[in-house]
Amino acid sequence: MSKYFDSLCAVDALDLHVDNEIFGLLGPNGAGKTTIVRILVTLLRPTKGTASICGFDIANEPKKVRNVISYVPQEMALDIRLTGKENVLLYAKLYGIHDRINKVNEVLELMDLTDRCDDLVKTYSGGMRRRLELAQALVHEPKVLFLDEPTLGLDVSARRRIWNHILSLRKHDITIFMTTHYMEEADEYCDRVAIIDKGRITALGTPQELKSSLEISNPTLNDVFMDKITTREDECAFDGYKFRTMLRRRS
Amino acid sequence: MNAVWYYFERDFIKWTRWKVNIFAALVTPAAWLIFVGLTLPVTFTDNYLEYLTPGIMVMSVLFASFQSGNLVIFDKVLGFLNKFFAMPPQRESYLLGKILFISFRGLMQASVIFCVAVLFGITVYSLSSILLTFFILFIFGALFASIATTIALAVDDHDGYAAINAMITMPLFFASSALMPYEDMPQWLRTIASINPVSLAIDNARMLLGGGEPFVGQIIMLTAAAVIVLVICIHVFRSATL
Ligand SMILES: Nc1ncnc2c1ncn2[C@@H]1O[C@H](COP(=O)(O)OP(=O)(O)O)[C@@H](O)[C@H]1O
Ligand SMILES: [Mg+2]
Repeated sequence: MSKYFDSLCAVDALDLHVDNEIFGLLGPNGAGKTTIVRILVTLLRPTKGTASICGFDIANEPKKVRNVISYVPQEMALDIRLTGKENVLLYAKLYGIHDRINKVNEVLELMDLTDRCDDLVKTYSGGMRRRLELAQALVHEPKVLFLDEPTLGLDVSARRRIWNHILSLRKHDITIFMTTHYMEEADEYCDRVAIIDKGRITALGTPQELKSSLEISNPTLNDVFMDKITTREDECAFDGYKFRTMLRRRS
Repeated sequence: MNAVWYYFERDFIKWTRWKVNIFAALVTPAAWLIFVGLTLPVTFTDNYLEYLTPGIMVMSVLFASFQSGNLVIFDKVLGFLNKFFAMPPQRESYLLGKILFISFRGLMQASVIFCVAVLFGITVYSLSSILLTFFILFIFGALFASIATTIALAVDDHDGYAAINAMITMPLFFASSALMPYEDMPQWLRTIASINPVSLAIDNARMLLGGGEPFVGQIIMLTAAAVIVLVICIHVFRSATL
């Protein structure tokens, strides 16, 4: 599929197949990662081509797609004046879950939030907020979970904790499609990664395969990244407004 | 359909949890009533408060509706809409939930004003005329809430929205029969005021609360306008990209 914003090509003839795995989409800022995710979760329509998720077409059967996926956007969108539990309950209601209370308690437990679930989200740390968002996303037992920069702006221990939770979801047979620009994380946790630049895939495979394709000793995924990316940092779009919003939400 | 109620519930709990919100929303219109209604030296009526009350009720519904566009802007810039619109409920459930909450909040303010006015001694006629007045206010509120939320969806910053808000609501309010009767207006203003939907709501409320008969044709027109605008707004919400 492709996506153009007027004449700007944000996604350029992307052709990708993702299995039941943890799939990481890597790329510099402005590479088109968020745009790809937003197309897959039915928020944007592709300009050309299409995609299907669990056999449902994103353009023709968006409602069926929405039933099997969850999406956690890069901004942290939580109602800080509601408690953790109320935040999850809202999602359980919107997804039309029958056994709501039990299900909500179950996902809160899964994310280690049970003892703080009756506090206002205002008092939560960044890591807890992310875990709360994961709890919201899991409440309807999705088959595919889309995470856009799930660990952005968190400290090391919070990041590790989020990752352990994400890994544990694999036991529930959930496919995880995520974006990041922390190469070390992708290297450690993703089954397969794709590196994209200017909307195009420039490398695809397991972290191991990508690293061994380089002819240097002890390559890291960072080396692969530098090798595959032609966009210079100073060409990247910087969305200052979003950045400020994000910082404010995290404080 | 249940989703409409859940979205409403979300806004309602958030609103009630912040006590300052409630206090401000209820005190501001009451202040208008007291400071304008009891102090302005007017000559066309000997009970200006009774004349003014319906106008202030409609005004607070109008202002409340438009101000609430900010709720949509918050949801948009903070990423809530991204999440909500990637969930199974139709996008219009969100829109309808917002309209319901906004109109409800406007009606709460209008009730406070009405109660304050009753305390200050305006005459109360029949219960049915009060109920019909609130029905008109609801339709009126829903009409402008639809417009406000849809404008807000297209704008993504609060300052820009505040400017648009002032640009629309101020003229609508001052070019209406809220503060003075048509006979006391200059000709040009009279023409504008007589086709202004704000006047339409005010005239009916004033008639009903003054013990008279409503202008049924106008109420039907207002309802029809609200339905048409709502259909357009639903369409805009469905096709909007965030
Ligand atoms: N709604 C939009 N309108 C116009 N251009 C956009 C829009 N959204 C994203 N873009 C552009 O598309 C490109 C890809 O953006 P994005 O997918 O957000 O990148 P990433 O998430 O990889 O940082 C950027 O150049 C960005 O400016
Ligand atoms: Mg992004």
